[in-house]
Amino acid sequence: MTPDRAARTPSRAAATPDPRVATPDRTVRPPAGVARPLDLPTFEGGRLANGLRYEFARRPGIPEVSLRLIMECGAGAEPAAHAGVAALAARLLVSGTPGRDAMDVARRLDRLGAVHAASAGYSVGAVAMECLSEVFDEALDFLADTTLRSDFPESEVVRLRDERLDEIKRRRDEPAAVADLALIGELYGEGLYGRPVAGTEETVSQLARETVCAFHEARYRPGGALLVICGDVSSERIGPAVEARFEGWTGRCGRVEPPPTPEAPGGGVILIDRPGSPQSEVRVGTVGVPFGTDDHYAIIVANAILGGLFHSRINLNLREDKGWTYGARSDFRFRRGAGPFVARTAVETAVTGPAFEEILKEIDMLSRELVSKDELQLVRNALTLSLPRQFETAPHVCAKRSRQRIFGLPEDYWEEYTARIVSVTPEQIRATCRKYLGPDRLTLLAVGDAEKAAPALGKLGAVDIRPLGEV
Amino acid sequence: MRVSQTSVALDFEEHTLDNGLRVVLQPDSSAPLVAVQVMYHVGSKNERPGRTGFAHLFEHLLFQGSENVPREGHFRFIQDAGGTLNGTTWFDRTNYFETVPANELDLALWLESDRMGFFKPGITQEKLDNQREVVKNERRQSYENRPYGLALETVFAEAYDEGHPYRHPTIGYMADIDAAALEDVHDFFDLHYGPNNAVLVLAGDFETGAALERVKAWFGDIPPRPVPPRPVVPAPPCRGERRAEIADNVQAPRVYLMFHSPSCNDPGFETVDTLACLLADGDSSRLQRALVYEQQVAADVDAFTWPTENAGMCFVVATARLGVSPDRLEGALRDVIDEVRTDGVGAGELQGALNRVRYALVSGLASFGSRADALAHAAVLRGDPRYVNDALGRYAAVSRDAVHGMARTVLDPRRLTALHVVPEAGKS
Repeated sequence: MTPDRAARTPSRAAATPDPRVATPDRTVRPPAGVARPLDLPTFEGGRLANGLRYEFARRPGIPEVSLRLIMECGAGAEPAAHAGVAALAARLLVSGTPGRDAMDVARRLDRLGAVHAASAGYSVGAVAMECLSEVFDEALDFLADTTLRSDFPESEVVRLRDERLDEIKRRRDEPAAVADLALIGELYGEGLYGRPVAGTEETVSQLARETVCAFHEARYRPGGALLVICGDVSSERIGPAVEARFEGWTGRCGRVEPPPTPEAPGGGVILIDRPGSPQSEVRVGTVGVPFGTDDHYAIIVANAILGGLFHSRINLNLREDKGWTYGARSDFRFRRGAGPFVARTAVETAVTGPAFEEILKEIDMLSRELVSKDELQLVRNALTLSLPRQFETAPHVCAKRSRQRIFGLPEDYWEEYTARIVSVTPEQIRATCRKYLGPDRLTLLAVGDAEKAAPALGKLGAVDIRPLGEV
Repeated sequence: MRVSQTSVALDFEEHTLDNGLRVVLQPDSSAPLVAVQVMYHVGSKNERPGRTGFAHLFEHLLFQGSENVPREGHFRFIQDAGGTLNGTTWFDRTNYFETVPANELDLALWLESDRMGFFKPGITQEKLDNQREVVKNERRQSYENRPYGLALETVFAEAYDEGHPYRHPTIGYMADIDAAALEDVHDFFDLHYGPNNAVLVLAGDFETGAALERVKAWFGDIPPRPVPPRPVVPAPPCRGERRAEIADNVQAPRVYLMFHSPSCNDPGFETVDTLACLLADGDSSRLQRALVYEQQVAADVDAFTWPTENAGMCFVVATARLGVSPDRLEGALRDVIDEVRTDGVGAGELQGALNRVRYALVSGLASFGSRADALAHAAVLRGDPRYVNDALGRYAAVSRDAVHGMARTVLDPRRLTALHVVPEAGKS
């Protein structure tokens, strides 16, 4: 089924005039023409003897290639005492290989004119490269050399660890980052999702070269890893190219299992004092859900109505009606485990309290009243008719496919997506909102000037004012 | 799209309607999408004293509906079509753009033409007051409450003299945003938003003949207006170093060095842009190697040029590692700059920089939206969309001698404005 046929009201499609002869009628929205059927990228792939899987989709037109090597090496694989080692190891992949120091490695990449970025998430780690097709072989060489053969020189471990410590301290300068960090700490406590992947001052300062090497040794393994490639390269080249670089790689490691889901705390308001702030960073959050629950699609639709789009309720209310903010948004962070739900905005200090009240009011309304047919149709269209755009370029396709694999979504997830979204009913949206966003499950948190913001917060319950230094 | 060592071949047509609207059509059926962009040749440099930020506030108002488009109609209709949209304002230009499924081309043309031709009947004091508050909150969020957020406007104010059109930031000053009146809105529209002061670009899945007919149908009746005067922008001054210091709610000092440099229309633009790339793009670049890797005095360092239409700007910006003073950081930056000015650059590092520029130019044309953006910028700021196809060749022709010469000319202390952002007392 194409999104056009699935999601459009029949009247609009039927009313399409011949655009060449029509004098435009400015007084109404012009009718849509006939949409081309959705054409999702097709992946083909294989598996090396060592267990490494690879998948490739050809994307002709622009001579570029996008690559993602995904391994089970995220923060969920670290011992708690070594929090931050996954992120540090990823950053250190370009620190040197036998006989070549960090500058040799950097020079090699910079001459290629390619982009390399390695990072760790909560479950997996990914090495991403983007390059022109003409240097695809050299980029793949670089990817393999740095991922498999980094030798983590002591001086580089110390340098990058100390840089990371600076970054952790400097997060306090950024009110939005302070709010995000404090919120996850509140929701997840000591759990994995309660801290940033980068780690904390205490744990990162203890990280030594041996710890990094041991983590790399254990987790950077082909068994369980996946290489996704998309771009303008002929498909016959892929198998041999991957084989040549990765066949000597050995070992496997287990899947990183999600952390347990904690009970969502709730009640009262946390106010982190940042004297002199002209605005308050406002968060309303709770423990959300993993990818792939039975109500997955209802959650997506419910959030799009609440705060997933520009034309969502909290943004229309706080920005377009009240003018209190530059923007308000919400999202459910789907992960292997239950990531957070967060509604976020930044408002003028004087309306910190009222902003909370309006967000709560919108959540409450969605939990009580059924959404209208028109509003539901707009959200369905926004979510489904945007699919061609979401798959527009090679990096888009690569990122989408990677997520699909990391979170174990079904092979036909995107083929079925439109029908599933369209099938969500107003009753399911209301039920979803009641289930996950009940008032006793919500944590309210703001970072701002406490002296000016606190007086208007009283209506929301006890206000817990904390100094910035404790975050 | 075809790419060789020295050129990109992006096929497009150019037309000019009877009312002066320039139209660029770039057909490509590789995805069932079309990107539409209208770029007006007006930006913050056209603002009058006491009304800084007005061009940007005005851009917000153009999302508030027009005679036939209801308030919030732009967002509602485009999201209903599965599209995406936005607008941006800069010193020299303001653009409005959307990417929609190709079968919704008429929707995008309707919205953009109603904006251009029928805006005034839709504007009210209430809409102005609402968006004024939104913009003030944008200034608070993106500038005042963000670390180092006020640095650039401080650099502009120091580098340019009173009356220079680049002296104030695009976001504007709070008092001026407050002062904007409905009368200003009408005047600004009349002066700057005529079809003959704009370029319309379509990139994506359409047939050019049919698309041109639709463009004519929607835009053809909008009357032209006198082309507004272009601000007089004096040549980059070279009259001695200027310095400033501000305190911010941060722990790490940051140093901004801004050199008056060639504008995007100067034959030397690609050379200075390559120089910036060679200085700080990539871990092996001059400044990254010296400041981040060897001396470990900087947490990050960046160098970039802005393709401004008139006076150009080349920035070198570095954030100190905790405990490093801004003076020491600036000294380290200037040592590297002096080295390049004295000794020039190597063949290998130049080739690397050119390869990175080449990747950025080509991948920057991958999405229809970014392609429309590149064509619109070239058409408005350089007067010719063909720059998009020629850019690769102009960069490929940049030589070691040219880079060395440019470093000597542009990275001259007499062209420098230096700003230190230092931690407020007790914060470092």
